[in-house]
Amino acid sequence: MALSGEDGGSLERALRRFERAWERLTRAPKFARHSHLPPLLDAGLRLLQQPGGAQVVYDLADRFDEIGIFTGTDWADPVALRPELVSGSFAGKVQTIAVELLSELRLLAIAEGRTVHQHMEPTQARKFLETTLALNLNRLFPMHNEADRVRLGPRVRAISHTLQFIVERIGYGSVFEAVAQEAESMLAQRPILVQHICRMIAELGRSEPNPRAEPLFDALFRPSPATAEDPGVAAYQAHLGAMTLEEVEVEAAAMAHHLGQTGLASAYHAVLVRHLRGVAPALLPRALGLSSTGQDAMINYQELVLRLIDEAIFPETAQAVYGLQALLERGALYFPPIPSGLWRQIVHPIREDVQVTLREVYGDAQPPRVWLLSGLVQVLGQPLGIGQGDNPTCQSARALSLWAQSDPGYLLQLLLWATRDGEIIMSFEGESISSKDLDPGLAGELHTELDPISLILVPHLDRIYGEMWRRVYDRDADGHMWINPEFHGWWVQRGFAICVDIYSGAIIGFDRFIRRFYAHYHPYYNGNQPVIFPQPAGIASTTSGGEFVGWHAIAIQRVGLDLAGEMRVYFNNPNNEGRQDWGGGVVTSVAGNGEIPGESSLPFEQFCSRLYLFHYDPLESGEPEAVPADAVERITEAAAGSWAAGRAFS
Amino acid sequence: MSKVEQTVMGKKQDYDPNKGYVALLGWSLNAVEALEQFDRRYVVVAPPWAEDFCRENEIPFIPWDFERLNERSVEIAEVLKDMGVNVTIPLYEETVEWAGAINSVLLDQPRLFGQALLFRDKSLMKRRAQLGGIRVGIFEEANDKGDVIRFLRRVNQTLLKLEGDPNDPIHMKAFDKAGCLGHRVIRTPDDVDNIPDTEFPALLESHLDGWEFAVEAWIHGGKIRFLNISEYVTLGYSVFVPATPELEEYRPLIRKEIEKLIKTFDIDFGFIHPEYFVTSDNTMYFGEVAYRPPGFKVFELLERAYGFNAYQGMVLAFDPKTTEEEIEAFFPKEVEDANGYAGCFGVYPRRRVVNELRVPPETEEHDYFEWHELQPPLEQKVTKRNAFGTHWGLVYFFGDDPHKMRDLLKAQEELDFYI
Repeated sequence: MALSGEDGGSLERALRRFERAWERLTRAPKFARHSHLPPLLDAGLRLLQQPGGAQVVYDLADRFDEIGIFTGTDWADPVALRPELVSGSFAGKVQTIAVELLSELRLLAIAEGRTVHQHMEPTQARKFLETTLALNLNRLFPMHNEADRVRLGPRVRAISHTLQFIVERIGYGSVFEAVAQEAESMLAQRPILVQHICRMIAELGRSEPNPRAEPLFDALFRPSPATAEDPGVAAYQAHLGAMTLEEVEVEAAAMAHHLGQTGLASAYHAVLVRHLRGVAPALLPRALGLSSTGQDAMINYQELVLRLIDEAIFPETAQAVYGLQALLERGALYFPPIPSGLWRQIVHPIREDVQVTLREVYGDAQPPRVWLLSGLVQVLGQPLGIGQGDNPTCQSARALSLWAQSDPGYLLQLLLWATRDGEIIMSFEGESISSKDLDPGLAGELHTELDPISLILVPHLDRIYGEMWRRVYDRDADGHMWINPEFHGWWVQRGFAICVDIYSGAIIGFDRFIRRFYAHYHPYYNGNQPVIFPQPAGIASTTSGGEFVGWHAIAIQRVGLDLAGEMRVYFNNPNNEGRQDWGGGVVTSVAGNGEIPGESSLPFEQFCSRLYLFHYDPLESGEPEAVPADAVERITEAAAGSWAAGRAFS
Repeated sequence: MSKVEQTVMGKKQDYDPNKGYVALLGWSLNAVEALEQFDRRYVVVAPPWAEDFCRENEIPFIPWDFERLNERSVEIAEVLKDMGVNVTIPLYEETVEWAGAINSVLLDQPRLFGQALLFRDKSLMKRRAQLGGIRVGIFEEANDKGDVIRFLRRVNQTLLKLEGDPNDPIHMKAFDKAGCLGHRVIRTPDDVDNIPDTEFPALLESHLDGWEFAVEAWIHGGKIRFLNISEYVTLGYSVFVPATPELEEYRPLIRKEIEKLIKTFDIDFGFIHPEYFVTSDNTMYFGEVAYRPPGFKVFELLERAYGFNAYQGMVLAFDPKTTEEEIEAFFPKEVEDANGYAGCFGVYPRRRVVNELRVPPETEEHDYFEWHELQPPLEQKVTKRNAFGTHWGLVYFFGDDPHKMRDLLKAQEELDFYI
């Protein structure tokens, strides 16, 4: 009993499995099809993982509806699908991923006119796919990272293969605008992690030349006259040695310009900075584009800055050039613990297991201490650029950002504990909690698309945070009340307001809640008091349709008038995605309304309509009664019409 | 009577009157699917909860509660007879005696009921086998824990064990449950303490060290029409078909044993699923026999390996109108006609606390891997498994080398699917 060709390649094997599952399902009577669906979805996903697999699956796409793949699911009616929900499916269970990908291929068949759909026009399907691609550029250009590949491997491959298959058929040109816009507005937020943005920019190079992409392209691949031909790092290094000081100065100015415009540092920039450090340190402020503040910091801490360049700035860590610039411009070195903390970190040995983790995630191109130190420079320089990556750990990411801003000495200490002892101890209500013996929390499966400091600290922080929750679990109020101040620091205000009943989900005392928020945060009602330390707060995040998604941790950075004279709340959203459409006209802005890079903002009322939890100083009273009733009414209406829909108000 | 007839939701279809009209006893989607794709008229007799589904999907259906046989059982037999049904096919252990009772009316063969009772009582079954000259192990009925301890002692005394030697295990099985349900292995008097009183009465058997395997046999006209040997790699964990050449070597011997069984139990038609041991001296011991489809998806494995639908095979075997030509055309040649070896492995979590499903790459990326039906865990704590519990799902394999298949299935036992 010979098996014909059963020893073929993986594609062939996946193909045979898929065909078998397909045949069994299509042969089955209608009532039995659902029992043949799981094997088909499984085989489909495996086939999509293989290069070339998407084509095979796509060839059958016009039959997906007919054989009932989507029957009885949320995907049954393609007209009702919403592109913004796709990324959620991609993060879901294996079967959900499979159905979502098959649905995308079905839409491609409609867009290409291969399938005629009763209710959906080809242009509609095309639009859906373009938006989906634009919203999932991170899947289209996935992080190439060894650890992730091993852990999530196959599913991630299936998603990116399918999206790449689709984009190649409908053309990069069609998503060009979206990609460019995405890259620009991500950069406007000055994130620490830029790898996926760089990949997008590189991808833009595959489509027709477009003036819009030029600045991004230049910043990354040809940031100066001598790099106009993208000569490669080694050639540029050699070239630099032969340049006159005047020529080098031109190089420095050009690169500083691009750095300031985009927040992107090219590998050439790192080469240039290292070169100047040796031959002309006086030109460094020029190369970094420092203002008088930055120059002043550089003069005061020259020895440290030069050492940081030696230890942390390499072509592989080029983006730390921007981190260094930001560190100097922020005046962060004047924070007493920072310079000494950095000196300590430069020389302190790192324990072996931490080194292994760093090596696994970032590779061997530089030793682990370089990754760590460059990450530290970035975190201290760009506290608002810290993101949670693809992890459900917004609390920990927010905490890192808050510490980097308000308590950097503590952050440096946490890092020392984690890299020296492999343990972090925090106290909670007088008792010590060690991260060592706790079960991995939400971060049990940490997605490693993170900066090095988050990578090392988040697992500890998340465990401790989880343990704090365990300890308050049976108290009859929301645990944030006790945890937030203890977890973050004394500067989190002790007053605690929440408008949701933790048991019933009902909205309680919303009117008072909103008035209180005005009285503590709105300068017109709180005696014109600014936010001193950024404060943790909670928002009910919603879809663009205004439907409730979940509770999300943010930090209120400040409240103030924007350029047009409107009162806005400026906040930091640790989910790497500051621009969000929360429905009902609530669209967060990240630039153009007075935001500092990394801040999101909303008009005060709109912010209130999504707020559910905040901290305040109970000894300040403000003027809650002065808040106009019509504003409170509008806010209540907006909340009731979105995340609070269907909840009881009392 | 009119009430019952109204609930038969048959589609108006033309059936060949020369072929039989069968009733399935019990609800099995796979069986109904097979019948829907076959050439005979059928009706499903199953509990009322299946009614809505059948109505929606136009599946001919009669609601029936298969409680213990009582005076109403003749009622369903007469309904089916009036409808022109020729024979009923039991799908579950619980419907075997119903099939016997009904078929004795439909076919006018009163002895079929007695035969069904033999299949339903493991103790009676063994005695009958013994009377027929079939070799069985030592066995006894137990009514309470005391009986179990006595049997354990006696068996081990027979084996000339000294006080303090590790006992040979004994097996305890519920009289009337299918397969591994209610099957316990007992080694010490402490194990006996853990048996709930509700499991009595039960059957006790001595343990045989040997090769355990199962047989599926389709019988028509008193003759074996297809005989499959299912090789257990580890009982309760894994099985594959066809068996390795080493086990297939016993086929002539096994065939003889099955023929003995057919004669002893006076089986004229249908489907049987007996279990045997071969000990090191090549003696075959009869374990038990069931008159219904096996668990552990053996039917699916057969379809994967041979391409024929085992349920449709059952219909042919049961239907008195089936012709010789039909039978010959339907069943493939044993072993020779198989396209390969199909096996499955039942996954049990190995850890006490599990967080997630993670199929080991050495499984998922193996050439033979087909697919798995495992779901992410609903609870983190794993209930302690006593006796042969229920697995959490099956992993399917297919390939062309029986030894590779056997070793692959064995290797799965050392892997964590839930961590």
